[in-house]
Amino acid sequence: MRCFRTFLVAGGKLISILTLTASLSPAGDIKIVANSSVSADTISTSELRRVYLETKISRADGTHVEPVLENGGPAHHDFLQNYLGMSEDDLQTYYRTLLFTGKGSMPKKLGSDAEVVAYVARTRGAIGYVSSTANAEGVKTLAIADSSGA
Amino acid sequence: MGRLITGLLLTLPLVDTRKTLAQDFSLHGREVEVHGFASQGFVYTSTNNWLTMNSNQGSGAFTDFAINVSTNVTDRLRVGAQFYDRNLGQLGQYHPILDWAVADYRFRSWLGIRGGKVKTTLGLYTDSQDLDFLRTFALLPQSVYPTDLRDATIAHLGGDVYGNFSLGKSLGQFNYTAYAGRSTDIKYSGSEYLAAAHQLIYSSYGGSIYGGDLRWDTPLKGLLVGASRFNEDLTGRGIFTGSIFPGVSSIPESDKSKPTWANQFYGKYGVGKFRVDSEYRRFVSIGRYEALGNLLIKDSSDVRGWYISGTYRVAKRLAVGSYYSRYSISNVSAGPEAALLPSQTDTNLPANHVYDKVITACVDLNKFWNVKVEGHFMNGYGVSTYPDGFYPQNNPHGFQPNTNALVLKTGFNF
Repeated sequence: MRCFRTFLVAGGKLISILTLTASLSPAGDIKIVANSSVSADTISTSELRRVYLETKISRADGTHVEPVLENGGPAHHDFLQNYLGMSEDDLQTYYRTLLFTGKGSMPKKLGSDAEVVAYVARTRGAIGYVSSTANAEGVKTLAIADSSGA
Repeated sequence: MGRLITGLLLTLPLVDTRKTLAQDFSLHGREVEVHGFASQGFVYTSTNNWLTMNSNQGSGAFTDFAINVSTNVTDRLRVGAQFYDRNLGQLGQYHPILDWAVADYRFRSWLGIRGGKVKTTLGLYTDSQDLDFLRTFALLPQSVYPTDLRDATIAHLGGDVYGNFSLGKSLGQFNYTAYAGRSTDIKYSGSEYLAAAHQLIYSSYGGSIYGGDLRWDTPLKGLLVGASRFNEDLTGRGIFTGSIFPGVSSIPESDKSKPTWANQFYGKYGVGKFRVDSEYRRFVSIGRYEALGNLLIKDSSDVRGWYISGTYRVAKRLAVGSYYSRYSISNVSAGPEAALLPSQTDTNLPANHVYDKVITACVDLNKFWNVKVEGHFMNGYGVSTYPDGFYPQNNPHGFQPNTNALVLKTGFNF
């Protein structure tokens, strides 16, 4: 088991070095917003990715989290490229695979920053993204922390 | 029914696709989602008839459709179900099935359970093999995902334990699934169809299955690798109409396959507009056939398949792809009636393999509707004692070593 973990760590680090994935640094054109029930003030990019891929449904303290998407626009494309590392086609294929195999659901998709903020404000556990200039009154803004998600 | 699907597909250009086609409604304050898909294909082959169709003359008996409904009852509990129907040559025959029906509860990110009729996690695409609207190809590589055997591994009545965990940023994340249950009867599937060619008419066929899957979403963006294990103990009961015993025209038959297992290893990588997948599956089945308490045949099949595929999105609405799919089978029979299933072990012979080179183009007419054109260039036709796309009933004059196929397919989803 110890050897296995050592192997994984070495392999993972090698891949990280090769791809500079570890340096994935989100652009500053969007901000991550969350419902006030989300306990933390920070979130890592890897944790955010797991939330949006529906593999993470709660934070370390057990609080539920729910991803919210925008239907398009600059913030959406920025989020896909810099946080998820996926194209729109890839993401839709991923969600539709979950949906049509009974292994997940389609996240809430909204049309604008204002709609995202309004939905996140009233939905327990909701996490979304909006453009950095959007009015985020009623929701908390999560800082991106460069650490692994628990 | 095929005409109905074709008609629906032809009316799609009239649909205002700027709006979502999915139907959502609210029930007791919970959002209920309704989604579906349908496809219609046409296959023409140069020589052998393929996939139980009269494809040598051109066949449109290649239709499927499904509809599902699902909702999140609570933050952690989700329920849903999907009905599926298809007609593929002599298979399916428009007999609708409950494709999946699950209740899924997630305690934590690393622990969830789902029960009911559950799509089986086996390799990259076993559970999603019907969803061709998600892929460039009209047909998945038949060495690993034989569409005539779709029903054999696609779902189980039972449950899954599953979850996701991250070991840190430098290690990516892992997804695991462990499952157990019963496979369902596979009437109208390739196994039953082929058995009928050997004068065995099944009344029931199924048994227990269990297995697991572990996949690693690596820190290398776009790279996923994994391995699956599948075990099953199947029992079949039916009537054997062959003339084994003098003066007896039909006798009760039973067979048991134990152990039957499959190992599958896979990886996929995507960067930019380029995608590559590769999988290897080995499937081993050992069966014992009896009639009136007497051993007829002991049969062992060793099926090995692998493929490598690549796709590239040339333009927003056009993707092209190609794959090489390699399938081989060796079959060893023993027992007093072994001549009914003669042993065949030389996989270099066309009778014991299918090598398939494929090129394809997929045009997305809009977000919900696509058209695919695909060419298959096959060498070999597999053994006639195992279902592998080419069946003796559809090729009564024997098999030709090479088969070229043109596959046209259109489908929509909402």
